[in-house]
Amino acid sequence: MRHIILPLLLLLFVVLEGVALDILPSSLIDGNLMITPHWVLMFLILITIFYDDNNSIHSIIYALIFGLLIDIAYTGILGVYMFTYGLVIYVIHGMKKLLHSNIYSTLLFGIISIIIAELIINLIYFVIGVMNSEWLDYLMVRLIPSILANSIFLALIYPLFTKKLEKWKSYRVN
Amino acid sequence: MSFFRKKKLFLLLIGIIILVVLIGFSLRDRSNLTTGEQFVHDIIGLAQNIISTPVKYVTGIISNIDDAKNTYTENQILREKLAQYKALIYEVQELKGENAELREIIDKSETIRSYNPIHATVTARSPERWIEQVTINKGSLAGVEENMAVITAEGMVGKVQSVSELTSTVQLLTGFDAFNRISATISKEDDKNVFGLIEEYDAKSGSLLFRIIEESEHNVEEGELVFSSGMGGVFPAGLLIGKVKEVIPDQYGLTRTALVEPAANMYEINNVIVVERKLGKGEEQ
Repeated sequence: MRHIILPLLLLLFVVLEGVALDILPSSLIDGNLMITPHWVLMFLILITIFYDDNNSIHSIIYALIFGLLIDIAYTGILGVYMFTYGLVIYVIHGMKKLLHSNIYSTLLFGIISIIIAELIINLIYFVIGVMNSEWLDYLMVRLIPSILANSIFLALIYPLFTKKLEKWKSYRVN
Repeated sequence: MSFFRKKKLFLLLIGIIILVVLIGFSLRDRSNLTTGEQFVHDIIGLAQNIISTPVKYVTGIISNIDDAKNTYTENQILREKLAQYKALIYEVQELKGENAELREIIDKSETIRSYNPIHATVTARSPERWIEQVTINKGSLAGVEENMAVITAEGMVGKVQSVSELTSTVQLLTGFDAFNRISATISKEDDKNVFGLIEEYDAKSGSLLFRIIEESEHNVEEGELVFSSGMGGVFPAGLLIGKVKEVIPDQYGLTRTALVEPAANMYEINNVIVVERKLGKGEEQ
């Protein structure tokens, strides 16, 4: 059961990201504020912290697979999200034993991961010329709203999934 | 320990190599998606179809409430316009009939204006904001092909970028770069049409750059409508693109560029029409 349900949930988040911008009022999107949903990444953070232990790398493998799915479905430039999500989750996976796993450390890891992810994604897009404007200006109007919006999302899904993930983890270990 | 450090570095390097290879592969000028990509598009497209219907329903209700507030004033304006349109419709019908008759005489039935519409619904929008693309729920099975123009009732919104069996992705006008030019025209009386190319979208001014090729004394004025001219060989003629906002000379003062505000709202797209040009595509392209 748990072998199927994690990929299905991640797939659901990939699909939901596509309609995320419809849910927001268009006055927010029309203006200069740019909010990028990173819901898959947020859920992967939960998986790293509460489902993986130090030796298992489920979250990194999921990050690579679903990053590639986002690339195929939404951008057409393969490898960008795959590389970024894989790297970010790898870093978080290594950092998580520094702090106890509770909601504050989770939010902190979430914010760190969004900052790293946005920086790498923007850097890659800048290098290959998708983003050709003065990107530092845009980064500020894009980074801070994205951090806020995604942190709220992480705080929302935290109570929904942590207990379940820990339960699945104990099944896996036993 | 040093072995593990080396291993990490090694993994990172392999990761970067794979990244570069994949990016190189996808930025190459490729005509079709690979089978794997098409498969993923179809699977995700199916799920998006299921998810987007209730989401659209709910957001629809909210925007309906907004609309209801303005109904009364809008209604009055529309009534006035309707009265004008009645006369116009009669005139158009007469002209259409006459046009068809004349065409029959010279035995030429299809023009670059005629097209087959394929109706589709937008199911998703790319969450990556630098990449302006939406997904629609019709694919090659419905006859959608690459590079077809996509319009809404308000005007042109973009072109089909890639096609899979059941879905296709549409590149919006706001995501057009120097590689996606549209030949366009401003229609005027007495054969004084202004021709040019829509070159790219300028994010700063929020408008399309319409470079006027034909150096002429015909003035372009604010508020004039820009249509596709069909001379590019891909899009049919007569699709509304936008309205002229401002005319600026280029840095050498040799040509002029008009800033064109897109007619369609790029952020609230629900139902679109994919336009299949009836007359064969230009071979010389």
